[in-house]
Amino acid sequence: MKQSKQISRREFLATAAAGTAAIGVPYLIPARVLAGPAKTGASERLTMAHIGVGGMGGFHLRDMKRFQDNGTVNIAAVCDIDEKRLAGAVKTAGAGVDAYRDYRYILERKDIDAVVIATPDHWHAVQMVHAAECGKHVYVEKPACCTIEEGKAMVAAAKKYKVSVQVGSQGRSQPEAYLAHRYLVNGNIGRIQKVACFHYNSPIDDNPVPDGDPPPELDWDMWLGPLRWRPYNKRYCHGTFRWIMESGGGQIRDRGAHVMSCAMWWMGADGTAPVTVEATGTPPTKGLWDSAVTLDVTYTFRNPDWVLTWNQHTGNAVPAEERTGQEPGGKISRPDYGAVYYGDNGKFVHWGGDGGTWVEKKAREWKPPAGAKDVYESPGHKEDWFNGIKTGAKTIMNIEAAVGVANLCNLGNLSYILGRKLQWDQAGQEIVGDMQARRMMARPQRHPYHL
Amino acid sequence: MSNSDFKGASVAAIAATVTSAIAEAADAKTVDKLIAGIKDKDEQVRTDAWLGAGQVGAPAVKPLAKVMTDNDLEVARAAKRGLWKLVRHSGRPEAGAERKAVEAELVGLLGDGQPVSVRREVLWMLSEVGSGRSVDAIAALLSNNQLREDARMTLQRIPNKKALAALNQALDTAPDDFKLNIAQSLRQRGVKVKGLACVKLVPTKKTSVEPVK
Repeated sequence: MKQSKQISRREFLATAAAGTAAIGVPYLIPARVLAGPAKTGASERLTMAHIGVGGMGGFHLRDMKRFQDNGTVNIAAVCDIDEKRLAGAVKTAGAGVDAYRDYRYILERKDIDAVVIATPDHWHAVQMVHAAECGKHVYVEKPACCTIEEGKAMVAAAKKYKVSVQVGSQGRSQPEAYLAHRYLVNGNIGRIQKVACFHYNSPIDDNPVPDGDPPPELDWDMWLGPLRWRPYNKRYCHGTFRWIMESGGGQIRDRGAHVMSCAMWWMGADGTAPVTVEATGTPPTKGLWDSAVTLDVTYTFRNPDWVLTWNQHTGNAVPAEERTGQEPGGKISRPDYGAVYYGDNGKFVHWGGDGGTWVEKKAREWKPPAGAKDVYESPGHKEDWFNGIKTGAKTIMNIEAAVGVANLCNLGNLSYILGRKLQWDQAGQEIVGDMQARRMMARPQRHPYHL
Repeated sequence: MSNSDFKGASVAAIAATVTSAIAEAADAKTVDKLIAGIKDKDEQVRTDAWLGAGQVGAPAVKPLAKVMTDNDLEVARAAKRGLWKLVRHSGRPEAGAERKAVEAELVGLLGDGQPVSVRREVLWMLSEVGSGRSVDAIAALLSNNQLREDARMTLQRIPNKKALAALNQALDTAPDDFKLNIAQSLRQRGVKVKGLACVKLVPTKKTSVEPVK
């Protein structure tokens, strides 16, 4: 970051630390990293670090180089608990970029303004909260959290430490998402009573193996992090964490955090929640992975009344429309998931909902008449985050909205696991009338990898 | 008590004994059927069996736990999933007596005679359905090096005063290398713990990967 005549955030932290160190729970951290209000001037280049650089994290690192090239950021550090992945990432990142296994070394660096977190889901909340506590702005992959209480902690931390948080449900920032949003809020299909999400099955572990020793390059203890300890099994990682209920939660948490994100955004339902959640599904018949293979969840909203459903069955997709490739989102490359919106005056379909969001021709070609409502058009998901950092504006997938969407995913899975309908109290942010389910709103975390 | 009262009471007692015996026989038959399904070679049969474990209830807890260490990986897995299904079924709001019966059976699996892997799993089951009746047995495991972290987290999750008291007591008695863990649980439960500074933000793990020059 360039030097500013105003007191910089780093200088502020250094001078404020002495005053804040005695407050609250005693932490053993260097005083200089205690968080104060995060602030970055509009003209300053952000100093960035990447935590988790495999899979989606690798994409983010490569994508961030684009913003380094245009002068928005400097990439200063990369971090991974897999030494092979880390070695690959330092090559991608380029000369002078520091490598870490333990993300907390990054958090104690006072020169780093912001972090991109793309670790398995069970790390998202802990790392986001820790980053906020150290005054870092955060881009964290979706879904935001694994439990209700993690979500509350994330919202509280972002608010307390005044950091900008963007969650990686980037479907909201796609060009056709804007067109769909605008089309729907202008009443083109009337009042919407139902949104039905479609998706194919979660996979079955077709190559189960016994537990064994982790490979030398993998720090298994840090991969587990907040999760309770268990022996290593190569079917946990990498990537396959997605199909473990504790760490990934299956398609509903992976793609549900995209497709239902679009639904909540376009329905104007951020900040609201269903009053009941009821799920049924089928489990895998073998293997380590335990996420539901097929899954049907019904979310019932009140005031206004509408229903959201998640239907996970291979072969249930709405056939994709023909395209030339010249459309704003190009050709549809992932036609097997999306949603159908049912209104008083018709229906509307979109496919994808993540980095590819494709909407029906009628929404793309709709010309707003004079007086039509307009909606926010994201300049891009990362650009929207940078704007949030520099101006304090709320990001398009801010932490409150993202936790709301993650709660949908988590409550759906919880209803499936328990085999019963759940009642949700949005004002109290809690499940009511079911003691066991209430306990499962939180999951105790292993020391010292905790909120 | 008159003679006729005595006769009436005897008849009732005999009837109750007979009913109980029939129920036990039925239970035993149902449990045997469940375990046979869990051990079946066909994965769909195993899956259907464990999905039905909730209906069998407490009598199936120990038999399922025994199969959790079966040499066949998938059989063991089916037994574990069956036990979880049973625990979660017993925790439904209207099933207080069923939950208590299951809890009692689970507590019986925490002893030294059981494999660590089974006891660890059982601790987490008790974290969902355990009550004050489980606390002493769980707290006893805070001195077991292999299970103390799971026992701590289990007590943290059980929302009653007895579990909290057990954690408080453990703060005094735990070895130094475990006091921070206990402090973490107490803080999560809203207790102010003096000293024992939280180390969650302290980095500890170094990499051997060097930056590109």
